[in-house]
Amino acid sequence: MSRGEPGVVVAGARLVWRRQRVLWWVYGVNLLLALPAALRASMSFGGVLNSSLAGERLVKGFDLTAFIELLAQPEVSPAQLLMGSFVFSFLFFVFFLFATGGVLEAYRRDQSLGAGEFFAACGGFFWRFVRLLLFLLIALVPVGILAGLLSRVSGRLASDAPREMLGFWVELGGFLLLWVLLVAIRLWFDLAQVRAVAEGERAMRRTLWRALKLTAANFGSLFWLYLRITLVAWAGLALAAWVWVKFVPAESVGLSFLLGQAVVLLWLATRVWQRASETLWYQRRFPPAPPASAPSA
Amino acid sequence: MQPRLRAVPPKVFALVSVLAAAALVAAAAPAPELPPPAASTFTPDTPLSERVVAYQIEARLDTEKKTLEATETLTYRNRTGRPLDLFAFHLYLNAFQPQSTFMREVRQGSPDFEWKEKYRGSIEVTRLEVVGQGDLTGKMEFIQPDDGNPDDRTVFQVRLPRPVPHGGEVQFKIAFRAQLPEVLARTGYKRDFFMVGQWFPKVGVWWRGAWNCHQFHRNTEFFADFGTYDVKVTLPQGTVVGATGVEVGRQPNPDGTQTLAFRAEDVHDFVWTADPSFRVVEDSFTGGLGPVKIRLLMQPGHLAQAPRYLQALQGTLRLYDRWFGPYPYTQITVVDPPHGGFGAGGMEYPMLITASTTWWMPAGLLLPEIVVEHEFGHQYWYGMVATNEFEDAWLDEGINAYVETKVMAALYGEETSVLNLWGMTAGDARLSRLQYRAVPDTDPMTRSAYEFMSGGAYGTVTYAKTATVLRTLESLIGEETLRRALQTYFQRYRFTHPTEEDFLRTVEEVSGQNLGWFFDQAVRGTHVLDYQVRTLRSDRADWHEENPPEEKKGETLFRSFVVVHRKGDFIFPVEVEVKFDNGETVREHWDGRDRWVRFRYEKKARVVSAEIDPDHKVWLDTNLFNNSRTRESHRRATRKLAQYWLFLTQFLAQWLAWLA
Repeated sequence: MSRGEPGVVVAGARLVWRRQRVLWWVYGVNLLLALPAALRASMSFGGVLNSSLAGERLVKGFDLTAFIELLAQPEVSPAQLLMGSFVFSFLFFVFFLFATGGVLEAYRRDQSLGAGEFFAACGGFFWRFVRLLLFLLIALVPVGILAGLLSRVSGRLASDAPREMLGFWVELGGFLLLWVLLVAIRLWFDLAQVRAVAEGERAMRRTLWRALKLTAANFGSLFWLYLRITLVAWAGLALAAWVWVKFVPAESVGLSFLLGQAVVLLWLATRVWQRASETLWYQRRFPPAPPASAPSA
Repeated sequence: MQPRLRAVPPKVFALVSVLAAAALVAAAAPAPELPPPAASTFTPDTPLSERVVAYQIEARLDTEKKTLEATETLTYRNRTGRPLDLFAFHLYLNAFQPQSTFMREVRQGSPDFEWKEKYRGSIEVTRLEVVGQGDLTGKMEFIQPDDGNPDDRTVFQVRLPRPVPHGGEVQFKIAFRAQLPEVLARTGYKRDFFMVGQWFPKVGVWWRGAWNCHQFHRNTEFFADFGTYDVKVTLPQGTVVGATGVEVGRQPNPDGTQTLAFRAEDVHDFVWTADPSFRVVEDSFTGGLGPVKIRLLMQPGHLAQAPRYLQALQGTLRLYDRWFGPYPYTQITVVDPPHGGFGAGGMEYPMLITASTTWWMPAGLLLPEIVVEHEFGHQYWYGMVATNEFEDAWLDEGINAYVETKVMAALYGEETSVLNLWGMTAGDARLSRLQYRAVPDTDPMTRSAYEFMSGGAYGTVTYAKTATVLRTLESLIGEETLRRALQTYFQRYRFTHPTEEDFLRTVEEVSGQNLGWFFDQAVRGTHVLDYQVRTLRSDRADWHEENPPEEKKGETLFRSFVVVHRKGDFIFPVEVEVKFDNGETVREHWDGRDRWVRFRYEKKARVVSAEIDPDHKVWLDTNLFNNSRTRESHRRATRKLAQYWLFLTQFLAQWLAWLA
């Protein structure tokens, strides 16, 4: 296979577009699960702001000192608000883990799945993906240890090395390498999921082992595939931030909301775009067996 | 991680995590014109101060061992009005030992602080001779006037065989050896960088009939008499050196060292710094007394920040010159510490300040500017108006913090003087207020620095509360009057050691008002100021009728009332602005003496809103959100914040889903 395989990324985007119902469902659940957290924040902030003229400092611009003072009000509990957001984020994570089987099945078949088929696929693969998640967490432990070591070493260099900036560059380079390692692990487990769905595999350790070999043998092209799509997400975020700072009036809620939702949709889209592209990449290497034809009369 | 030991406004370190690119905010409108300062008494040949002390010091720095070998000749002029036979000296470097009072207090405030040998510093007097009275080395006695800690050796006293008469002079010849610590708090080294402050035996101040010579504490700074310094420093060639005073001589030595000579007049301290990596950036400012040479000693990695330092310094020099009086010295040096040496940053010395920045500092985060402004401000409040930093820390830190908010507002905008990034703004005065309201009631401003409840309380009260008190004082006497009072205070007390009463009396004198009631609560007390609009209501006057006519705007009579409640114990007169739905506005005045007040109205209009302090001048109020109340809900702010929270939750969720 040629390095880079640009066709896969574009084809993946087209696949996401054709099966966009998948994306809209994921986005819809993301929005729905976040709404209670926002509602709770609304009630909390509203208890202070709704009858106070001091809120104007947060409407016309964003006075950070006013916001910090707001968080210190007894009616507002930042810890509880954050916990609420985290709980709902965790629920979305569980949903996404559950939905991944159905998403990959929809991309594998490149067909609209009925609700029954979709959720059957979700349910069928859910516990296998839970097992994969546990393996993923184990795989992340050494990454965490390396990150801690890097932090300690770079801190010591920053403090003691003759060259002032050495610690900084070591930390920057180290975290870059750690990021590549994280991407590699993510790719490995992405492929394991794709393979599990493609082959109907039940043995997750075997799937993991084969996915590892596949990832290692094709790391360059897979990394490039993943990176390009990731760059689209970051570019979109940067563009949205620029538009928000330059053009969205400080008092605007509607425009600000639309821009925020566009960013969320874009990031979810790039994630499913990666899954679609991985699925297509796998199918090109391991085409599915053609269905058995009926014997001729 | 080293605990925060530097007495720089904590808010300076509060915003370093914000990233962005943003435009620099244009300067705000220029400050209003003040009457010109009184005719200057400065002439090049006239001493500016009493010159109680004259130091001549020769020191040799061993850059490998981080030690100093030095000799000091101190000529002390007895102007105390009585004969003196007892003298007290500071040995500040002895604070950097594990059992010193300083280190005990560090550990008390930061239980996770770990002692390391590299933090050890010391100063040992190897010989002390008094000219005409012999060798008194054996007569030196360590004392601990503040806490009786026998392990603290930051103060010693020596009794002379014969007293020095009033008007007479005594000359001390001292040999000493100093070990510099790795920089933890102001003084020390980091790699090849040396910041050498509080490094020589320094005589105390005879003040109010006794020696004022405190031990060195975690929260205290310094207090010394004005005089002259002639200092020679020998160190390796190729080292770039900065110091208090001006360089008056330089001589290369055959052994690869160089000896630099400095002279400083009418200052009360002498510091110097050395680093072969310094990059020198020079500029000048022309003030009321002529040109001032500006010398920046920058780290190579921070060179791009030099224009920011210069712009802030030039602006501050200009405003101080205009508002208070000219900077009288011919030079100001700004030192930029290296990474890891930030313990030396954010500090003031006569004619030399240390700043602080990192290799990457977005233009919309004005931390370098604030540090430069603040530390230069100390040239006036501490450097020239030399208050006792042990006992009256608020008189230099607090007044300086207040003027800092004015200067930063004038140069960078009232609401954008600290932060202007990604649509977020923060003004220096508001940050000060925020910091103050976190700890509003633990210690009075007049407390001695080493007696505060904690380091945090010290920082909050001496810097932020004082600045906020003075901002509130503006509402009583006017901004112009307060500035005039500060100008008068500066011009009257520069090159002396004024006290709390000198400052407060000057404010009352210039304002023509008796402000004792305010100072008793704000300065000497710990009263908390908090007013709230507790209730706001409009009722139809015909509420009791069985079939009242339909409400008609402008015709139906309403009885309205507004209840304002004083929640805190600080009594302060306030204005209350009440608005009605017919466009009418009423301003009420309340002296705040009672706990609450009810304003009643009978109008053909409903009350719409009530706001305490509508001009937003009472900065001491600890809660701005309860200062107003509206009859109807306005959900714009809530909707905006809820929408932000929604986005953050969604974004967090999709990040978490990366694990799935």
